[in-house]
Amino acid sequence: MNTNNNLYTVVYSTIIVVVVAAILAWAAMALKPKQDANIKAETISQMLDAAKIQAKGEAASNDAVLDKYAETIQAAFTVNAAGEKVKDLSTDRASLELADGLKAQNTNLKKGSDVELPVYIFGKDGKKVTVVPVYGAGLWGPVWGYVAFDEDLKTILGAYFDHESETPGLGAKIKDDPEFRAQFVGKKADFSAEPVFSVLKNAAQDNQVDAITGATMTSKGLGAAIGTWLAAYKPYFTANAPKEKCCDRPDCQCAEGVPCNHEHDHEEMKEEE
Amino acid sequence: MDAKIKETILNPILKGNPITVLVLGICSALAVTVELKGAIVMALSVTIVTGLSCLVLSLLRKTIPMRVRIIVQLVVVAMLVILVDQILKAYSYPIEKQLSVYIGLIITNCIVMGRIEAFALGNKPWPSFLDGIFNGLGYGLILVIVAFFRELFGSGTLLGFRIIPESFYAAGYMDNGLVILPPMALILLGCIIWVHRSFQKDLQEK
Repeated sequence: MNTNNNLYTVVYSTIIVVVVAAILAWAAMALKPKQDANIKAETISQMLDAAKIQAKGEAASNDAVLDKYAETIQAAFTVNAAGEKVKDLSTDRASLELADGLKAQNTNLKKGSDVELPVYIFGKDGKKVTVVPVYGAGLWGPVWGYVAFDEDLKTILGAYFDHESETPGLGAKIKDDPEFRAQFVGKKADFSAEPVFSVLKNAAQDNQVDAITGATMTSKGLGAAIGTWLAAYKPYFTANAPKEKCCDRPDCQCAEGVPCNHEHDHEEMKEEE
Repeated sequence: MDAKIKETILNPILKGNPITVLVLGICSALAVTVELKGAIVMALSVTIVTGLSCLVLSLLRKTIPMRVRIIVQLVVVAMLVILVDQILKAYSYPIEKQLSVYIGLIITNCIVMGRIEAFALGNKPWPSFLDGIFNGLGYGLILVIVAFFRELFGSGTLLGFRIIPESFYAAGYMDNGLVILPPMALILLGCIIWVHRSFQKDLQEK
């Protein structure tokens, strides 16, 4: 057969393209549920790692990750920019629900339009651990992660970061280098400062960590992501943080005879003074 | 073993190595050799994709209209790359996450197209498949050698495990920042080509 005539060429190309498209469409559809399950388990394992409940890679399977999540989660919901609860997310093992679309929320944050920010509260050793996501732009693509807070909603218990395409050996260290992530433990977000938290050279304060050598842009991007997102959670965090007990403050000025373990708001104290 | 098959298997590893002799696939060799793990995963994926696409196109070779053959090859290669990516995503998610940066590079890898044009379109399926597989392995061999040196001297680790002890750093040793950057991959490749040619005298130009 003459394989060089025009009709043959056109028909042949059409058939090849249709066959290839059909194979790819079928593969994408058949594999989608499994891929989604993987992504969900991956997201959850990042949260569990940040909250120091289960180190990433420790769980043998996706199911083990989901079990651990269902076992430790106490509440999951989204809040708006004013810190008010918008909707609950299911924490039932059979129908676990995560807030997706961090990217869309990040765009909303930047534009200043309505946001729905997820908050996940885990129970660990009888304490409440609050985990919130962060999202922003690294050098080559998005960077994101989860930051876990202690009951005071200031002290960071742990953090986990991930990225799409940062340079291996440099920017990718935000994920690969445990020492970088370990820096976050014990740091405090300062909601009265601007920025709330930052990643920079020669970190000196409680709300700063050291950047990665050779990955300035990734570090800056991650710092901005954390700063922007935590600032967006400020209303929720300040409203839900436990009030400071008077005795805990160095400048306790309670009159004699007043039991000094009553709770004060920081602002109130100032007004009183 | 039949001498011709043996030739098909051995040639791509040494005498006709795709990187050091044919100088194909250089761009990805620079990009993925910062760490050994990425290099190994890339080498395996390229091997699978090259082998399968050579097989498929060798089966189709008598039916492909000559004027659109490059496009047909591209469609088949792209399909296989996407399939490999999707299957990894479903069954081996952590590896896919490692690989996702490089997966696009396989489609543009000159080795795949080069071997299809040079071999698969003129040979039977089985030798074509072997040719694809062993060219992928020949490429992978060089990748692993380059990545070995770049990870060891650039980060002091191999496959993520620390090789150069902390005491060296305490004594003032520093990782070489240049090794992490792409130019060093080219310099290393140059050295490998040099060593290769000094052994393989018939490759030397007069």
